[in-house]
Amino acid sequence: MTVAIDTVAGGRTDGAAPAARRWSWTWLGLLPFLAFLFLFLLLPTVGIVEKAFTDVHGSFSTSAFTDAFHGEWKSFWGSLKVSLITALLGVVFGGLLAYAVATARRPKWLRSLVASFSGVAANMGGVVLAFMFFTLVGRQGLATKLVTEAGWDPYAHGFSINDFWGWVVVYMYFQIPLMVLVILPAIDGLQQSWREAAANLGANSFTYWRRVGLPVLAPSLLGSFLLLFANSFSAFATAYALNTTAQLLPVRIRSYLQNDVSGQTRAPFALAAWMIIIIAVAMTGYLLLRKRAERWQR
Amino acid sequence: MTRHRWRRFLARLGPTLVILGSALFFIAPILSTLRQAMQAIVMPLLTWNNVFKKWNLDGIRLAFDEKAFWPTLRLSLKLAVVTVLCTLALLVPTALFVHLKMPKARAIVEFLTVLPYVIPPIALVAGVTATFRPHARWFINSDYSLVPFYMVLALPFTYRSIDAGIKAIDVRTLVDASRSLGAGWLTTMRRVLLPNLSSALISSSFLTATVVLGEYTISSSLAKQTFPVFSFEFYGRSARGGVSLALLTLLATTALLGLLTLLTRRRWRTRAVTF
Repeated sequence: MTVAIDTVAGGRTDGAAPAARRWSWTWLGLLPFLAFLFLFLLLPTVGIVEKAFTDVHGSFSTSAFTDAFHGEWKSFWGSLKVSLITALLGVVFGGLLAYAVATARRPKWLRSLVASFSGVAANMGGVVLAFMFFTLVGRQGLATKLVTEAGWDPYAHGFSINDFWGWVVVYMYFQIPLMVLVILPAIDGLQQSWREAAANLGANSFTYWRRVGLPVLAPSLLGSFLLLFANSFSAFATAYALNTTAQLLPVRIRSYLQNDVSGQTRAPFALAAWMIIIIAVAMTGYLLLRKRAERWQR
Repeated sequence: MTRHRWRRFLARLGPTLVILGSALFFIAPILSTLRQAMQAIVMPLLTWNNVFKKWNLDGIRLAFDEKAFWPTLRLSLKLAVVTVLCTLALLVPTALFVHLKMPKARAIVEFLTVLPYVIPPIALVAGVTATFRPHARWFINSDYSLVPFYMVLALPFTYRSIDAGIKAIDVRTLVDASRSLGAGWLTTMRRVLLPNLSSALISSSFLTATVVLGEYTISSSLAKQTFPVFSFEFYGRSARGGVSLALLTLLATTALLGLLTLLTRRRWRTRAVTF
């Protein structure tokens, strides 16, 4: 805590100092924070990039980077597919749920319950989530048994919790809540008066959504899609607990890191660099769209 | 009148179905986890006739009896406490500093705090392998080397929540008032700022703690015996015991959330009285 006080006090100037000097010293208050980010975020990232773009002799080379793409295109495709599908389904179901909750007048506690539950579930992920779904839709799961007894065995029709559609179902448990969290403020921004104005001009519900509601929400929806995509793209623990040999990028990185005794393999770092680039593109889009969407929110 | 009501009912039918369907989806895994942890009947033998039979706590006892249960839980709790304290010690002064002294830097700092979103945990692990493993082995060997990386993982939520807390109160007036009454920076911090920020601090601490208690990616990759790592390994040996652990984790998280709600509500009320 002494550090804490020093940083605040370090920026204190009592008005006597010349303006230029005051400005230059003020930056020091951010030093602990910047040093922390440098050590534990920037340095590892630089380490990845350095390893991804050098060969075993240490000279610059893009071959590891391109080889990783060619050698692992299956897991690229797997990760992209699962992320695109869960992001799309998350936007649709999470958006509908958020709209239903935002417009419901009763019961009063519904909204705060959904909001706080979403806060927990969106951050859940991990092994606990995978175990919970094993008991529900695993081969010996409760829902699997109920559906099978009703006359339709999902495991006889290509469904498996260790496989694509199983992952999609499990991922929805954190994708829908994340969508609810990010879209609720945008839905609150839709004003009743717009709807009334549209109705006065003769618009029915469908026309209102097509001409007013959805265009206003569009940047938020697209932004949320990108955020959900990045979220599912980077998920490791859940995927690994569901299937330790899954054809997904994070799981492949892990298996390369684990099997690499020599410390010379470039593949995991090249794959990590690819992941960072793809997520960075999605997150940049998200941040830009969020800025655009905030125009309609107070 | 009745026709009007009927139409209103129809208009609410869609949203109501959405809410009920979502409730089913989110509650079902919790129920099936509860069943598998507490009912000693394997799934193929479960019928409508014995649904209410053989419920007991054996699965949970199984988990408690594991040798690794307490040491791993203790390690995870210790990591959670240390991470929470370090996060507060780093972020509260930084956020206050930005608000009071460098409002211009606000956008940059906010941008920096969301950067961890771009580096997924598994990539962070690769980065640690590339940098810290060859050059700072002593650091990686310590269990507490996880703390800074957990701080990074939680940074986007924690900073936002502390920042929102600061925005909600008039920091400048509070500081000026306190300073003009003769309080030093230390007293101002301890007697004025921290009490007023308590609900933001509590909620960011809660978020940090849940992140730490559930974190698997980094701890397992660095071969640390944390509670999630133990849960995963235990599930491989005993599915019922592993599921019981999942249930306990879930209950603990819910209890923490309840506590948080209670604490922040009370804080808010006392603040309303004093100001």
